[in-house]
Amino acid sequence: MEFLIKIFQFNQIKKAVMRKIILFFQIIIIMLPAALYAQTKTVTGTVRDGEGILPGATVVEKGLPANGVTTDGNGKFKITMKGTSEVLIVRFIGDVTREINVAGKNTVDVIMSTNSHGLDEVSVVGFGKTTRITNTGAVSSINAAEVREIPTANVQNTLAGRLPGFFSQQSSGQPGKDASDFFIRGISSLNPAGNQPLIIVDDIEYTYDQLQQINVNEIETISILKDASTTAIYGIKGANGVLVVTTRRGKAGTPKINFRAETGIQSNTITPVFLDAYQSALLVNQAEANDNLALPAGQAPRQLSFTQNDLNLFKSGTDPYGHPNVDWYNEIVNKYSYQTNANLDISGGNEQVKYFISGGALNQDGDVKNFPDPRGELNNNYYFTRYNFRSNLDMKANKTLDLRLDVTTRFSDLNQPLAEGAVGQLYDFTKETPFTAPFLNPNGSFAYAYSPFNSGHLPTLNARLASGGNDNSRRTDYNVLFNAVQKLDAFTPGLSATARVAYSSVEQYSAQITPSSSAIPSYHYDPVANTYTLNPSGAYVFPTYSQTGQTDFYTTDVNIQLFANYDRTFGSLNHVTGLFLLNQDSNTTYANNTIILDPTQVAVPAKFRGLSMRGGYDYAGKYLFDINAAYNGTDRFAANHRYGWFPAVSLGYALNKEDYFKNLFPAIGLFKIRGSYGIVGSDAAPGNRYVYNQYYTQGGGYNFGQSEADYNSYYENSLSNPNVVWERQKELDLGLDMNLLKDNKLSVTFDYFHNIRYDQLITPANVSEVLGVGLPAVNVGKTQNQGFDGQIGYHSNIGKVQFATNFVFSYAKNKILYEDEPQPASPNEALTGWPINQPIGYHFVGYYTAAEAQEINTYEAAHGGNNKGNSIAAPIGEIMEAGDLKYYDFNHDGVIDEYDKTHIGHPNLPNTTLGLNLQASYKGFSISVLFQGSFNYSFIVTGTGIEPFQSQFQPIDLQAWTPSNAANAQFPRLTQVPNTVNSPTFYPSDYWLVNAYYIRLKTLELRYVLPSKLLPFHLTAGSIYLSCYNLITWDNYDKYQQDPEISTNTVGDAYINQRVVNLGVQFGF
Amino acid sequence: MKNYKNKILIGIGLITLVAAAACRKSEKFPVDKVSGIYIFDPRDSAGTQALKYLLNVYSVVEIGHNRVGGDYLDAASDDAVSSSPGGQVTILATAGYTAIDLPANENVWSSTNSTNTANYWNGIRSATEFMAGIDVVPVKDFVAPNGKINGIGVSTRYIWRNEARLLRAYFYFELVKRFGGVPLLGDKVYNVNDNIALPRSSFADCISYIVSECDKAKDSLITAPLINPAQDNYRVTQGAAMALKAKVLLYAASPAFNNPSGGNSNPLTGYPSYSASRWQLAATAASQLMAIGNYSLDPNFKNIFLTQNDPEVIMVRTANGTNPSNNVESNNGPVGFGSAVAQGRTSPTQELVDSYPMSNGLPITDPNSGYDPNNPYNNRDGRFYATILYNGAPWLGTTLQTYEGGISKPNNGQTETLTSYYMCKFMGPQTTSNFQGHDEDWVIFRYAEIKLDFAEARNETDGPVDSVYQQLKDLRLRAGIAPGADNMYGLTVGMTKDQMRAVIQNERRIEMAFEEQRYFDIRRWGIASTVMNQPLMGMSITNSNGNLTYNLIQVLQPKFVAPKMNVYPIPYDEVLKNPAIGQAHQNPGWSF
Repeated sequence: MEFLIKIFQFNQIKKAVMRKIILFFQIIIIMLPAALYAQTKTVTGTVRDGEGILPGATVVEKGLPANGVTTDGNGKFKITMKGTSEVLIVRFIGDVTREINVAGKNTVDVIMSTNSHGLDEVSVVGFGKTTRITNTGAVSSINAAEVREIPTANVQNTLAGRLPGFFSQQSSGQPGKDASDFFIRGISSLNPAGNQPLIIVDDIEYTYDQLQQINVNEIETISILKDASTTAIYGIKGANGVLVVTTRRGKAGTPKINFRAETGIQSNTITPVFLDAYQSALLVNQAEANDNLALPAGQAPRQLSFTQNDLNLFKSGTDPYGHPNVDWYNEIVNKYSYQTNANLDISGGNEQVKYFISGGALNQDGDVKNFPDPRGELNNNYYFTRYNFRSNLDMKANKTLDLRLDVTTRFSDLNQPLAEGAVGQLYDFTKETPFTAPFLNPNGSFAYAYSPFNSGHLPTLNARLASGGNDNSRRTDYNVLFNAVQKLDAFTPGLSATARVAYSSVEQYSAQITPSSSAIPSYHYDPVANTYTLNPSGAYVFPTYSQTGQTDFYTTDVNIQLFANYDRTFGSLNHVTGLFLLNQDSNTTYANNTIILDPTQVAVPAKFRGLSMRGGYDYAGKYLFDINAAYNGTDRFAANHRYGWFPAVSLGYALNKEDYFKNLFPAIGLFKIRGSYGIVGSDAAPGNRYVYNQYYTQGGGYNFGQSEADYNSYYENSLSNPNVVWERQKELDLGLDMNLLKDNKLSVTFDYFHNIRYDQLITPANVSEVLGVGLPAVNVGKTQNQGFDGQIGYHSNIGKVQFATNFVFSYAKNKILYEDEPQPASPNEALTGWPINQPIGYHFVGYYTAAEAQEINTYEAAHGGNNKGNSIAAPIGEIMEAGDLKYYDFNHDGVIDEYDKTHIGHPNLPNTTLGLNLQASYKGFSISVLFQGSFNYSFIVTGTGIEPFQSQFQPIDLQAWTPSNAANAQFPRLTQVPNTVNSPTFYPSDYWLVNAYYIRLKTLELRYVLPSKLLPFHLTAGSIYLSCYNLITWDNYDKYQQDPEISTNTVGDAYINQRVVNLGVQFGF
Repeated sequence: MKNYKNKILIGIGLITLVAAAACRKSEKFPVDKVSGIYIFDPRDSAGTQALKYLLNVYSVVEIGHNRVGGDYLDAASDDAVSSSPGGQVTILATAGYTAIDLPANENVWSSTNSTNTANYWNGIRSATEFMAGIDVVPVKDFVAPNGKINGIGVSTRYIWRNEARLLRAYFYFELVKRFGGVPLLGDKVYNVNDNIALPRSSFADCISYIVSECDKAKDSLITAPLINPAQDNYRVTQGAAMALKAKVLLYAASPAFNNPSGGNSNPLTGYPSYSASRWQLAATAASQLMAIGNYSLDPNFKNIFLTQNDPEVIMVRTANGTNPSNNVESNNGPVGFGSAVAQGRTSPTQELVDSYPMSNGLPITDPNSGYDPNNPYNNRDGRFYATILYNGAPWLGTTLQTYEGGISKPNNGQTETLTSYYMCKFMGPQTTSNFQGHDEDWVIFRYAEIKLDFAEARNETDGPVDSVYQQLKDLRLRAGIAPGADNMYGLTVGMTKDQMRAVIQNERRIEMAFEEQRYFDIRRWGIASTVMNQPLMGMSITNSNGNLTYNLIQVLQPKFVAPKMNVYPIPYDEVLKNPAIGQAHQNPGWSF
C-alpha cells in the first residue's frame, strides 16, 4: 500500500513538472508571432447571447488560431491583435461561430445567436452525454434556450416540429389542461396504456403531469431517445422511447441575474360561427318539412315549429324577448384573455460551489367572460396559476468528491366552473339555441330556456356559470435530488462512482364550491303581458354555497441509483467508456379520484428494480461500438416472471476520418453511418395492475333479511394470467450523420427504423361471453412500426445577416400483425394488417335521389320492410328520403349493414409531421419562425359538434341537401330523427371522416438585443421580444369548426386551442 | 492516505446499505386484495365470506323497476309507452334493434367483460363457482328441510348450494326466454384456457335442464312461511323453485315454442314437433305448488308490492339502496307537483285501460257493462285503480289533472304523460302532499301468477273446467269485482276453450301489468304480430269549463316481425367470438 502511494505521489510530481514544461512551451509558441509582428492593437468586448453574458466563449483572431482568449466570468475579453485580418472569430459551445470585423474598433459587442446544430452539440442520453460525432444511437435534442420564450405553459407543447421523431397532439386549450399528448416515433402498442414515452428529468423518472408542471426556464436541454441502443438502459420501460430533460446548472463566475417578464394575449385558434335565430328557425322548418315527407302514409303532417310571423320577428329583431336571437358563443366566450409569465434566475459560483436558483410565476386566464356569482364572491372562470422554484447546487467537497443538491417545488392552482361541461354546451342545440331565451330579461333577471327544443327549463348558460360554483384544484410538486460523485482515478483513471437519492412527491387536493341546491332563480318574460313567470323548477332566491374538498391524489416516489462510470482514453486513440447502474424505485400513490389514477395503485408501492450496463469503445473516433443491457423488472408480474434482459448493440463508422475519404470529399466534415439493434420492453398492462393474481372485490351490497341491513358481497374480478410478462420490442435503427460544406454549414441527420412490438398485452376479444367473467391481458399482440425521421440544417450568412434553417421530418407508420380479434363480419373490417386505431365505417357514394328513395320504399313495402335483393342498397327498415347519404354496398345484397363497413381514412394520430425552422439575425435583431405541419390523419366529429338538432345550426347546414340544392349539396338533408343514415354516430362514414392535414405557423419570435450602450444601470444584457404561438393555421377542411388537433369521435372541445401573442422583456445583470 | 481509506470505507458502506435495501423482497401482493382462498376458506366455520359471495349471486337478479333505459320493460309492449320516447323501450317496441345494437339492458348476454355487470352469464358462472367452492367451507349451521335454523337437518352450506343452483336455473331461464337455446355449461367452472366456444343446446334440452335443476333444488331449500323472516326473507325458497318450474314449463308449452301447427323448424328456438302433453306438465307443476298451501292471495292487492313477507309473494328481489324509499314514485309519478317531484316516465296506453273490466266484471265492450264513454273511469275493476292514474284520480291529497294544460299535463316541453295516464302500480297510496316511503322490492313470483299459469295450462289440456274458472274468480274476488247474482264475477258461463283462452290472457294482462310479463306473454302466445303492429293509443282530454271531452290519439306506431322477433338475435359479437355458434346457429330470420 505504502509503496503504491509512493509511486502515485511520484507520478503526481512528475505530472506537475511536465505540465509546467508544456505550459512554458505553449506560452513561447503563443508569444512568438506576437514578437514577430509586434502589433499593438487591443480589442476588448463582451460576448452575449439573447439571455445574457457568455463566460467561457472563445475569441480567436482569424488566421492565427493560436491567438485566442476565452471570456471571463462577466463575458468580457481582451485580445491583442497580431495578424492582419482584423477579424475575430467568436465561438461558444452549441452556438454558431461568429466573425466580427474589428477594423477601426477597439471595443465590440458580440451577440451570439443560439443554434444547437453545431458539431459539438451535446446530447444528453441516459446517465451520460454523447456528441454528434461519437453517437451511435438515434437521439435528437435541442437546447432549451430555443424554446424558452414560447408562450405556452408546457414544455411538451414547445417541441412539435423541432425534434425528429416527436409526434404530438394538443387537444384542448384549457388553462392547466392544455398539455399535448406526445409519442416518440408514433405508437406501436395495441395496449392504450402502452405507448407513453418514459420521461426522465435529471436521470429521475417523471410522470406526464409532472413534466407539464416544469417551467421551461429551468431546462437546459431536451433530448428524445429513439432506438434500442439509447433506450435499452431503461430496459423494461424503454420501448416507447424516452424524453430526457436536464435542468440548468450554475457556472463559475460572478453572479448572473437574469430576469424575464412577459405578457400575452390568448385567443381561440378558431371561433365557431353559429347561425342566427332567423336562419336556424328556417332550417328547423326545413328539417320538419323533410320529416313530414317521411311519415307513413295516412299520418297527418306535423305543423312546422315556426310560422312566417315568427320568422319575420326573428329576422327583424323587433321582439327581442318574445323572439330572442342570442349569439351564445360570443356572449359567453371572450375574444381575448391574458397570460403573464415572469422568471428570475441567479447563477454563478466558484470552483467550489456553483448554483443556479430560479423562480417563476405564470398565470393564464380563461376564455369565458366573467360571470361572477350573484354575490360577487367567487371566480367561476377558468384560470391556471403556477409558481416554480428551483435551486441546483454543485459543490466540490474535495478534489475527488462532487456533491450536488437539487431542490424543486412547483405550486399550481387550477380553477374551472363547476359545470365544466357548461362551456361544451355552447354547441348543444338541446341546451342553447339562438331562440332559447334572451340573454337577460329586461329587468336584469336571468331567463330560462323556453322553446320547444329546450326542455327542462334549463336556466341560460350565463345564469348557470354565474351561480354554478367552481372547482379549484391545487397541486404541489416537490423534488429533491442528492447526488455524490466520487472520482476513483486512484483505482484506475477514468473511473467514478455516483450515488444518488431522489425523492419526489405530488399532492393535489381540490375544493368544490357548489350551490347547496341547484335551483337558480330564472324567469320567463312575456313581452305581451309584461309578466315574469318563475321557472317551475327554480327558486326565488339564489342558493347558498356549500364547500366540499378532497385530496385527489398524493404520490411519493423514492429513487435510489448507484452507478459507476468509466471513461478513459488509452494511448490517444482507444477510447473506452463504461457504466454499471443499480436503480431502484418505489412509488406510492394514494388516489381518491379513480379518474386520474388507477385505483389499484393505491396503498401498495409500485416497485421497479434493475441493473443496467453500458460499454463503449471507439478507435480514434472512427470505429464506434456500444453495447447496452438492462436486467430489470417490476412488481407487475409474478415473481418468476419478473425480470428480463434487454440488450442492444450499436455500431458507428465515421468515414470522414478515413484518409481516402478525406481526399475524395474534403468538404465533408462528418460522414458517419451507424446502426443499432436491440430489445426493449414496456411493462404497462391494461386494467388490473396485478394481472398475474386474481382477486375478488367487495362490491355492491345486497339487502338481506327483514331489517334490510346492507350486507357486502364479493364478486370475482377478471381472471388472472399468471404468465403475464412485459411487452417486448425489437428495434432496428440505421442512421446517417453528415456535415457538409465549409464550416459544416449544412448538416444532415437521417434515421430509418423498423420496430416489431410483440408479446403485447391485450385483453382477448375472441372469447365467448358465455365464460361469464372478465378476461386478463395476455401477451399475444404483435405490431410493426417503421418509418424514418431526420433533419437538415443549414446556416450561413449573407453579409452581416446570419441565418439558419432547420427542416425536421418524421414519418412513422404502424401495422397490426396480430390482434386477437374475432372473425369480423366483413373482411373489410379486419384489424390485422391495418394501423392501430384504424377507423372503420361506410363508404359514401353520394346522395339518394328522389327516384331512388321512392324505389327503395316501394321495394321495402313489398318485401316486409326488407330491402334485401334491391338493386339500390339501403339499411333495413328505414324509410329513405332524397338527400340521405348513400353508402357503398360492398356485398351487393341490397342492404347497408355491418358487412358494408370498410377501412376509411387514417388513425387520429398523424403519421407524418414536418417542421421548418427559419432563423435570421442582424446585429441585435433576430427572428425565428417555426412552421409545423401534421399530415395523414383523420377525425370524425359527432354529436353536438355537428349533428343537426344536437349541434346548434352551423353555416354548413345552409348547404344541406334540398330538392333545389341537390346538385351543390354539401350536407345531407336536415332531419330531426337522430339515428338515420345521416348520423355520424350511427353511420360513421368517410363522408364525415376528414382526411386532414394542417400547417401551423407554430411559433414566431422577434427579438432585439439591446446594445450595451443602451443598457441603463448596471445591466449586462437586455432584450425585448415578441413571441407567438399557434399564430396562423392552415387546414384542409371546412366541414367542422374545430381546431385540427381534435380527438376523433368526439364532439370537439369547446375550449379550443389558444393562439398567443406575447411581448416580453429580459434583463441580465 | 487515511483520507482515502475512509472514503473507500464510506463508499463500500454506502453500496452495502443500498444493496441491502435493494435485496429486501418486495411485497408480492397487495394485502387489501382478496384472493379465492379468502372466499372459500376452510377455516371459516361461519361461512362469512362465502355468504358474501352467495349474496353476489343473488344480486345478479335484476330489479324490474325502470330497468330498461329508465323505463319498465312493459313500456315496450302494448301496455304502455315511454313518456320520453327514443330510449331502449321505444327501440324494442318499434323493432329498431339488430344483433349489433340490442338495447343494453335487454342484452343480458353480452358485456360480461366489463367487471361486475349484472349479467346472466356472469350470474351463472358465479353460482357454479359458489357450488364448486362451498364444500370446503366448514359451515357449522344446520338447517332442517322444514326451515328450522340450528336444528338437526341439512347443513346450511347445502341449502346455500341449492340456493345458488336455483338462482343459476333462474338465470338460464332468463336467457332462454329471450334467446332460445343457449350453451349449457353444467357444473364446470371454465377458465381462460378452457375451450369456451360451446355450441347452443337445443331449446328442449335447456328446458329439461332448468326443470331438473329446479327439482334438484326444491327439497333442499327453506320453505314458506319462513320461521325466521327477519333473517331469511330474501332467500329463495322451495316455493320459488316450484314457481320457476311451473313458469318454465308454461313457456315451453306456449305456441311460440310448442307450435300446434307442426312444431318449430329450428330446434334452437322451440320444439321440433307439437305435443299437447307439455301443457299437462305445466298444469301439474303449477298445481303442485298450489297444493303445498304455503301461499295465498293477499286481500289487499297494493300491499303485495309495498310490504315484506306478504303471503302472496314467492320470490322477491330486494330493492337496492335504502328502503323504504320512493324511487318508483319519483320516476313514474305524475309531473306538476312541486313538493313531490316526479318524472312521469311511464304512460299506460288506452289499450291497457280498456282491458280492465267494470266492477261488475263485464268488459267495457259488453252492452250490459254500464260503461260510460263520457265518464270512462267510473266503476272499474279495482286493479285499474291500483295500476293506473287517470284524470280525476286521487293523488297526493288532490285530484289529478291530466287534461291538456292540466297540472300534470302542462304541455310545456317537459317529460309528461303522452296518454293522459300515469302508472301507479308499486306506488303507495300517497294521500298526503309529500311522498310516503315504502318497501320497493321487485316481485319475481307471486301466487296470483301461479294461479294464472295453472288456469292457462289447464284450459289448454281440459278446456274451461271448473278449476280454471275458480282461479279467475279468486283473482276477481280479490280485485273487488262483485260476485254477481250468478256468482260468476262477470265471467260468461260455458265458454269455449278459445274464449276462455282470451279471457285468461286478458286477466293475466291486467293482473300482472308492469311486472315484466306482458312483453314476453305476447311473444309466446304469438299475438305480438297483431297487437304490436297497430298504433298504440292514448287519450287526449280537453277541459272546457269543467266539461271534459275525450279524444283518442295515436302515441306510438309499434312494429313486430313474426316469428323472427319471438326471440332476440344472439348478439353479434358473440356470433363472431364463438365459432360453435357462428352465423349458422343464429336465430332464424336474424342476420344482424
